[in-house]
Amino acid sequence: MKRFLITLLILVVMSGLVFAGGGKEESTAVAGGEIPTIRIVGKDFSPTEDVNLQFLAKVEAGFQAYSGQKVNLELVQVPDGGYAEKLNLMLMGGDIPDLIYFQGGDEAVSKQGLLVDLTSYVNKSTVMQSALQDFNKQRIENYPYLLWLAAPRARVALVREDWFAEAGGKVPVTVDDFYNLFKTIKSNHPDAFVMTDTGSTSRMDFTFDHAFGLTATWVKQGGSYVYKKVSDAEKAKLAFYQKLYAEGLFDKDYITTKWDTMEDKFQNGVVGMVFGSSGVVCDIYDTKLKGAQGVGFVALPPAKGVGQGYSISSAKETRGWAISATSKNPDLVFQFLEYMATDEGQLSDRYGIEDVHYTVDNGTYAFTDKKGEWWPRINEVMSYKGPLPTLGTLGYESWGFLGDYVVGDPDFPIPSDMAPTWDALSNLYKEYNFKIITGEYSIDKFDEFVKEWYDLGGDKITEYAQGMLK
Amino acid sequence: MKGNIQKRIIKDKQMYLLLFPVILFFVVWHYIPMWGSRIAFQDVMYIGANKWAGLRHFQLLFSSPVFLKVFINTVIISSMKMFLIFPLPIFLAFMLNEVTSHGFRKSVQSVIYLPHFFSWVVIAGIFISLLSSPEGVVNQIMVFFGLEPISFMTSTKHIRWVFVFSEVWRSIGWDSILYIAAINSIAPALYEAATIDGASPFQQAINITLPAIIPTIITVFILNLGFFMNAGFDQVFNMMNDAVINHVDIIDTYVYRVGLMQGNYSLGTAAGLFKGIIGFVLILSTDRLSRKVTGEGVW
Repeated sequence: MKRFLITLLILVVMSGLVFAGGGKEESTAVAGGEIPTIRIVGKDFSPTEDVNLQFLAKVEAGFQAYSGQKVNLELVQVPDGGYAEKLNLMLMGGDIPDLIYFQGGDEAVSKQGLLVDLTSYVNKSTVMQSALQDFNKQRIENYPYLLWLAAPRARVALVREDWFAEAGGKVPVTVDDFYNLFKTIKSNHPDAFVMTDTGSTSRMDFTFDHAFGLTATWVKQGGSYVYKKVSDAEKAKLAFYQKLYAEGLFDKDYITTKWDTMEDKFQNGVVGMVFGSSGVVCDIYDTKLKGAQGVGFVALPPAKGVGQGYSISSAKETRGWAISATSKNPDLVFQFLEYMATDEGQLSDRYGIEDVHYTVDNGTYAFTDKKGEWWPRINEVMSYKGPLPTLGTLGYESWGFLGDYVVGDPDFPIPSDMAPTWDALSNLYKEYNFKIITGEYSIDKFDEFVKEWYDLGGDKITEYAQGMLK
Repeated sequence: MKGNIQKRIIKDKQMYLLLFPVILFFVVWHYIPMWGSRIAFQDVMYIGANKWAGLRHFQLLFSSPVFLKVFINTVIISSMKMFLIFPLPIFLAFMLNEVTSHGFRKSVQSVIYLPHFFSWVVIAGIFISLLSSPEGVVNQIMVFFGLEPISFMTSTKHIRWVFVFSEVWRSIGWDSILYIAAINSIAPALYEAATIDGASPFQQAINITLPAIIPTIITVFILNLGFFMNAGFDQVFNMMNDAVINHVDIIDTYVYRVGLMQGNYSLGTAAGLFKGIIGFVLILSTDRLSRKVTGEGVW
């Protein structure tokens, strides 16, 4: 009996070991007959969620009506963990879906010819030509492997409407106007900071960069291109930030603030101003502030000075959809992307599942309570006008700013052999940036930083930039 | 000799059968993956065979302007953790051994084991909140006693000590388990005899407990040295910020940014291999040294 039990125990342990990895999951759609299958991999787009399968079924029907072609859409599961990292490991393992969403790490893949050049597809497509914005078209010209239909990710300044009204309610235009607004808010609320950021000043830079002349990643200075963070304009901007910090206008703990603590800070009245991604994020912040303080946010345009705008890199899409060069049906895959950019496709993608996220009663659309759980799985065409608004007032207002102020930034990707140097230069900037803003270093130290930056390898990258920006 | 081994296996077949899954586990999950280290010498191709790259990825790793700084940071942070933290679980085990109330001892053990199960994301949140300036609890206490508040998380002088302290808080209880088990295995008759001879609790600890657990201490120390270059990615990644990045950036965080985030797995593997070789050399040399000095080693 004892021997039997020991043997049984060993078998159980061994079988647990052998099958610990779990069985291979069955595909979510079965390719039958001549119906082609498009395998799709996307972030948070899992085949184990019913709502995604319902969405795909709806899109399959819509696509058939649009193109006359039946298609099976099959989702591919990415292992848990950081998406970019796990996706690349999956591709390295030889599992290469037809349609791949990248959020970084795509350059190593495209360099090996694994992604389809989308230029001719995009140029021939009237749907895409109307859905793409100018900066998207520039990005595809520079890097023709990723397609991303969405609002540019500019951070819009949002100030509490009650604090803004108390301070006069006049929309600031120049940097001085902003400074005076901040001073008034501070005098009205001495225990609070006017604004915060999340671990760096990258969010507030969207509002102030152009006003100081930082209108692109590489700016002209003395007849040649200079990296903006070692330019004279950057020095002037840091001096301004230093003043904001010293006068208690800028959160003392911005460097250790993360996105969640930033939300806590505006909800608890620790700060009155934050910088949110244009669109739905502005609406979310607005809703949260209304829930916590009973007031909403007012969106402010970028400051006006040397320039006025939000720089949007035209180097390449930083995320987006790519078609695999190993796909048997690249034309069909692009046609699917095209369909998703049409009004019919956008209705599905933006509204979710009928009777779950929205209802239609005699042609009248209404969102359900579950609308907040839905987000577009493929694309978000900015120009789409549906039967119901998908954004709130603040969200649309922030999108309006994009239309008025987005400026293309003729940036370029840093080559992989320069990546370690670029990383070192970025770290050097971060250290000086913090120490200057907090007053540990005087602004005069900026010149020392610039020299160190060039000595550390910045000179070679600057030389490379001259060639790239000719 | 061969016949002896066969006889022993047949004689203790049940024991060997029990051992088999463990060996299989290590072969499948630890030894076979070592073959993957070859990509440190290759350019990874998504389609087709990888291309031989020689030492190019190592050159790229070592030629970075920050590699020396990152390497020094790794050694400093690892040394602080290794040499300052290592004795603490031993002291804790000694102290717990002196607690006579069984219930109290179990309660204390449960409380000190708990932080081990918190993720570094949670712990970083707790410490950032506790140590923030001037609102954090620690700074409020300092101000109450007339001291100047310190921004611990952004101070290059203090941040490494924050790493050490938070590591102690998280792992001291858990790491003491092994020593508590070793102490519990000491024959009670030794203590009884020492008590009759008039030895104080301190003398018993020094002359009975400590010598009895020396082999355990040496084994744990040598095995820990193998992970010397692992300065704690999760901890550093969650607690670092722009203000201190040049003082706490370690090999793992550097490789994560420059290698993994950009899909450059060969660079990441080259760094992993470099760390592994250092760990391997440290284990072997310390084992040899320990054998010479104390007569005890890992094997």
